[in-house]
Amino acid sequence: MLLALFLVLPTVVFAESGIIEVTAPGNRTLKLVVDAPLPFETTPHVESAREISDVLVFDMNMSGIASAESRDLTPSPGVLSLADTDFMPWMTGGYDLLIRSAYRIKGEELTVEFRMFDVLNHKLLTAKRYLGRTDELRRFAHSFADEVLLVITGEKGCFTSRIAYVSTQSGNKEIYVMDWDGYNPLPLTRNGSINLNPDFSPDGREIIFTSYKRGNPDLYRRALSNTAEIGLSNRKGLNITGTWSPDGSRIALALSKDGDAEIYTIAKDGSNPVRLTVSRALEVYPGWSPDGKQIAFVSDRLGKPQIYVMDADGGNVRRLTTSGSYNVNPRWSPKGDRIAYSRSQGGFQIFSIRADGAGDTQLTSEGSNENPSWSPDGRFITFSSSRGGGPGLYIMRADGSGQTRISKGKGGYSQPAWSRN
Amino acid sequence: MVAKLTMLCIISSHGLNYRHSALLNRTKEIGMRRGILALLAALSMTALFAGGCANKEVVKSEEAVVPKEVIAEPVKAEPKSEPVKPVEKIAQAEPPAAKQAEKAAVAEVSFETVYFDFDKSDLRQDARNVLNKNADILLKSKPDAKVQIEGHCDERGSAEYNLALGERRAKSSMQYLITLGVKADRLSIISYGKEKPAVQGNDDAAWAKNRRAEFVAK
Repeated sequence: MLLALFLVLPTVVFAESGIIEVTAPGNRTLKLVVDAPLPFETTPHVESAREISDVLVFDMNMSGIASAESRDLTPSPGVLSLADTDFMPWMTGGYDLLIRSAYRIKGEELTVEFRMFDVLNHKLLTAKRYLGRTDELRRFAHSFADEVLLVITGEKGCFTSRIAYVSTQSGNKEIYVMDWDGYNPLPLTRNGSINLNPDFSPDGREIIFTSYKRGNPDLYRRALSNTAEIGLSNRKGLNITGTWSPDGSRIALALSKDGDAEIYTIAKDGSNPVRLTVSRALEVYPGWSPDGKQIAFVSDRLGKPQIYVMDADGGNVRRLTTSGSYNVNPRWSPKGDRIAYSRSQGGFQIFSIRADGAGDTQLTSEGSNENPSWSPDGRFITFSSSRGGGPGLYIMRADGSGQTRISKGKGGYSQPAWSRN
Repeated sequence: MVAKLTMLCIISSHGLNYRHSALLNRTKEIGMRRGILALLAALSMTALFAGGCANKEVVKSEEAVVPKEVIAEPVKAEPKSEPVKPVEKIAQAEPPAAKQAEKAAVAEVSFETVYFDFDKSDLRQDARNVLNKNADILLKSKPDAKVQIEGHCDERGSAEYNLALGERRAKSSMQYLITLGVKADRLSIISYGKEKPAVQGNDDAAWAKNRRAEFVAK
């Protein structure tokens, strides 16, 4: 699925990223409005227009950078240019930012153009045009939302990223992948067995997962573009909780081939196991730091599972979690500063803690919540939750706000893993 | 006078318990166990241990054993027995087990399931009693059989940690069988963590039946 991206012609000015020259009184959130997308050289497609607006509004609201809504205040002038944009209605509405867009659909071909304006100062901040297929409409809108975040904050958004997960909708646990907002779910495995704990490669092209399809919990690899499931580690005992190193060269996982479950790394082709932990306890669920120099993991060496951190060569083991009696599922933020995890207190709750062990913060409180996974920009966390008739998949901002259900169906969702790009 | 082998079939792996006949003569021969009373006591006690470490409540509900004899063992709490209802519930949930049980009952002795406390893999006395019986089958009546020991956990706890804990339960059982003289190459293990519960349910009774090691003939 190629994203064909054409920059708008040189007459358009691109704003400097990082600073937005909007004067908002006090510290209130920016107010962003999405004008109804205009058809150009095409008959109106109401559903498509609505979908463009919905994606932009959802992404911007989740970001927490702006509160967004869609409005249709102006009659369609038919042209997106700065000169032809009437800012009065938007200023009256109290908006800081305005996104206007236009689309053309000819058969399977789709063109969408977006422009974002500073309402108060009547300035064009950024513009993009996308050309592709009609089924890429959401992706184009997500991509522009990434651009909006880049312009406002200096950091690109993650709205074209995807989440792999486990679902029982077919009757048994299979691996699926969906857009970050829960749309376009696609099955990745269909082997009728028990499939667990997917993880994305850093380039986003492959997943690894554990499957019992050959009668033992073995680690497999699958390219997203290809249905072949290739055995990576089928050593005696457990081959579970595999996770790729940030540079893509190695995979950390738990193997029990030498006794009890311990943390090892293997090369990305499955060879050359290197043992990292040596203890009479059970060790599972490794999680790499974003610089690849440390690995967090779960160990019950003190009786119940707690989270520890070690160097990537196994040295310098230190305990991370000191509150709570049962802490699991460590995942390091791509920003490097915090580790999200899940604590059992009867049901589970998601916490995040600073990498130095301070600042332990509870993020969820409703239902039972497990397996946190960070977005590639570190802004969001996805997790599974039993709330609201669950079990479903949710996203929230890194500070725990904005908890929103993204899984759409009834399929017993669990173990989400966010892509890294 | 001939010591006839009578059948004791307990399909504990699916939570159904019923007996075809009261005694194995061999229990006398072996002489290390306390016979049927102990077995029933063991199976009944599994429900009473269901609270385990994480739950300070004394278990109040009885699990699905059909007790034909009064339990004489000292127990943690008075069991409220509801023998009929839970059996029916489980029977509805697991019809294939009934068929399998009948087949096995007609054929021969079957391996029994071992149960564990919450978050633990050590063998209780009842577990050891069951393992003694299973070792017996392996050493005497089925000397060529190979067995895979499956380790399982209840639904609480982390799925990934439970994969490792289930394996420890299977290993614990395997090692005990080896000390009883079963050759190691006849035994293999696998863990299913909490992925394959024997009994659906969100209460102590269901959880107790799911914390188990099952013996599957290979």
